Amino acid sequence: MIDGTREDRLIDTFATLADTLVADYDVVDLLQTLVESCTDLFDIAAAGILLADADGELEVVASTSEASRLVEVMQLSARAGPCVECFVTGAVVSLTDVEESPPAWQRFRDSAREQGFAAVFAIPLRLRETTIGALNLLSNVPGALRQQDVRASQALADVATIGILQERTLRESMSVREQLTNALTSRVVIEQAKGVLAHSRGVSMEEAFTLLRTYARANRLLLSSVAQGLVEQTLVI
Amino acid sequence: MVATRIAGMTPMPDLFAVAADALNALTGQEARLYEPLLAALPVDGASVSTFGDILAAETISASDAQSFRLDELQFDLGEGPCWDALQTAAPVLEPDIRKRPNRTWPAFSEAILADDLGAVFAFPLILGPLRIGAIDLYTNRPYRLSSQSVQQISSLATVVSRLVLSRAIRLSHTEIENETDSATRQKFSRREIHQATGMVLAQLRIPAADALLVMQGHAFAAGRSMAEIAAEIIDRRLSFAVIESQIEGSHD
Repeated sequence: MIDGTREDRLIDTFATLADTLVADYDVVDLLQTLVESCTDLFDIAAAGILLADADGELEVVASTSEASRLVEVMQLSARAGPCVECFVTGAVVSLTDVEESPPAWQRFRDSAREQGFAAVFAIPLRLRETTIGALNLLSNVPGALRQQDVRASQALADVATIGILQERTLRESMSVREQLTNALTSRVVIEQAKGVLAHSRGVSMEEAFTLLRTYARANRLLLSSVAQGLVEQTLVI
Repeated sequence: MVATRIAGMTPMPDLFAVAADALNALTGQEARLYEPLLAALPVDGASVSTFGDILAAETISASDAQSFRLDELQFDLGEGPCWDALQTAAPVLEPDIRKRPNRTWPAFSEAILADDLGAVFAFPLILGPLRIGAIDLYTNRPYRLSSQSVQQISSLATVVSRLVLSRAIRLSHTEIENETDSATRQKFSRREIHQATGMVLAQLRIPAADALLVMQGHAFAAGRSMAEIAAEIIDRRLSFAVIESQIEGSHD
């Protein structure tokens, strides 16, 4: 059962996400909030969201840590692992013990083991018949997610889908494909902006992301606008 | 679209904007780069060549035999305005090259004595830290470029620099992308390439697209993969600095 405090947190999370969705918001920031909520809500160590690009290749668009090792394990999962299986089948994939990965997932397994991940769950981001990506939950201990957690994580994945596809509809009409591309492009600019800050402030990429997000929040600006300003060198922070 | 802007009372700066657009439209047809230059500039011949540290000596585009010959002579002799322009990162302006030859190029000056030349101008092709080549221009009669023209041709040279470097990278594309450890590795490293692009654009204060070109040019010159270059930049083992113009190359 979800205990009282967790139920409260779940309600808080959905309230926050719903608030975001009715205002002007930044899709990468929304997804970032969402993956961070996952680590608060569930017994997991890390989470990430991957979206399919124009070639149908999955790319990390938000993750609880910017550490390249975590990004790598998720990319490997998207190549041959639970993430891509979830994406292809459109169904939740529960890998309750990483050691029991099929041989084809060996690179993913090695990387997960190296990072101390024992179980991985992939939840599809679905829009009707189409799967646009997957939410990945990584746990340090083997074992299945609780049934309530599976339902809650699917609900969060659905919010992510709505967030991605809704972002631009108020302003302009874009196809699903264009909206996905938009989310991935804004991630590219954010990565470049992290590089700008890493150079100008002499910080790590992880610290650069925190700086970026903190600045955007403090100034009530969209993460992507701040990133754009840094990359175009019209903004210095 | 270009023609309508040329017609009528288009002021001078627009002529250069038109030339820049026309140059950009020549991606994939770099042999025609001389055309917009010749249309916009008060010269009788124009050529674009690559040489220097990273690209092989090659005339990419030449308007006529005289332009081509000027490039070839300089490549063969290892001296001349284009070499100085690239070395000093500044335009070299010779308004009357036969009557007032430049003493620092004895072999070149002698070689062109019989040519029908007035002025010779060379503008360096440089992008960030990369020395790429030069634009060579000539006139049949002695001619002095205004300082405004020099400035405008220098900005056109930046446009040409991008195109010429992109061309070299495009032609070597298979080599550069040859890192394929796996598609996953590429996907993963792409994130690092974006981060490194951000660092380089901050180092050089140039647009992101140019920063990426600089990294590709460096990878090309060093025979390394983009993933390796990006990792070195992020680890702060590799950084770039703009080439500062050393001297005014004019000879008045």
